[in-house]
Amino acid sequence: MTVTETLPSRLLPDILDRVVNASPLMILDVGMGVHETVEHFGQQRCRLHFSSFHDALLSPPVIDSKTKIGQIVDEAERQEQLINAWRRKFARLMDFQNGTVFDLCLFWDFFNYLDDPALKAFSDALSPYIGRHTVAHSLILLKPDTNVLNREYGILARDHIAMRPGNLGKLNSHPRPQAKLASLLKDFSVSHSVLRRDGLLEASLKAS
Amino acid sequence: MFNTNKDKQQEPESQAYSSGNVDSGFGNTSRVGSSSGKTATLGATIKIKGDISGDENLLIEGQVDGSVNLASHELTVGKTGKVHADLTAKIIRVDGEVHGDISGKEKVIVSSTSNIKGNIVTPKMTLEEGARFKGTIDIDPSHANGNSSAASLKTSSPADKPS
Repeated sequence: MTVTETLPSRLLPDILDRVVNASPLMILDVGMGVHETVEHFGQQRCRLHFSSFHDALLSPPVIDSKTKIGQIVDEAERQEQLINAWRRKFARLMDFQNGTVFDLCLFWDFFNYLDDPALKAFSDALSPYIGRHTVAHSLILLKPDTNVLNREYGILARDHIAMRPGNLGKLNSHPRPQAKLASLLKDFSVSHSVLRRDGLLEASLKAS
Repeated sequence: MFNTNKDKQQEPESQAYSSGNVDSGFGNTSRVGSSSGKTATLGATIKIKGDISGDENLLIEGQVDGSVNLASHELTVGKTGKVHADLTAKIIRVDGEVHGDISGKEKVIVSSTSNIKGNIVTPKMTLEEGARFKGTIDIDPSHANGNSSAASLKTSSPADKPS
């Protein structure tokens, strides 16, 4: 039987307060929809997008190298090709209705499974759906620690997160400092961050 | 009684559904409550290609390709049900497989045994414990008396974008 843990959150109340007047409240949850999140928002007019982008990470894009054996590889060009391939992949998955702008993005720990090119591409692909008042929640892995990976999250209450084991065991993790993460995000800056007891950095993000 | 759309061709293995197939066990707590009268059952071996509409509750345990419209009644897709169709009903419960959009005029209930690929529009949504969902859910409690529509929800103007 799956055990659900309850994690107190110091930043979630402020994030939710910022979108309290939005109607309908447009929400992107990058994970799977779980009953806690649906129940939490179910009493108000809202549109919940549960995208499960993690699935896409199981089959990363492959770049065909045109460099012949013995020639010097242009690493910058290869990185750019990789970012473009990720960007196309994420753009295909973001089949949101035209004109969609999210009030709230629940990234949870998704960024920790993206290497730098994939994170930059994800941010670029999401950009058309981010408005000037969009806010977001994220959990940042600062150093390698498998104990805080492979989790599934939901909003249990305005100051509590539901957490249970996920199905992401095959994914690699990419720890990075807050400043590095912020530099890769196109439309967001870190508003506040709190180091949690489990070692994850909880961050509230705002459109920049 | 509901009608299959006779304009659409049925698969050779399809069996015509006859009315009066009432499942006396439908009213147990694992089902949508049958407050609107009798319930028809589409059995596990039945396959239908076409559009279904009617004026009674319906439990689908078989396969349906097409659409199902029970605007003022209750629809349950049972654990063995495989529905490739857009669904409209007053209350919809999904225990089985649905590939299509779901419009519950009053309520939609998604259980942990469900497998849904599609969007949900309803005034009241219950995702049961253990259920996981990928897709879009439009919730508008003010439309609890019906008339819920995805188009009624806003899409913000791109002018909202930061410069």
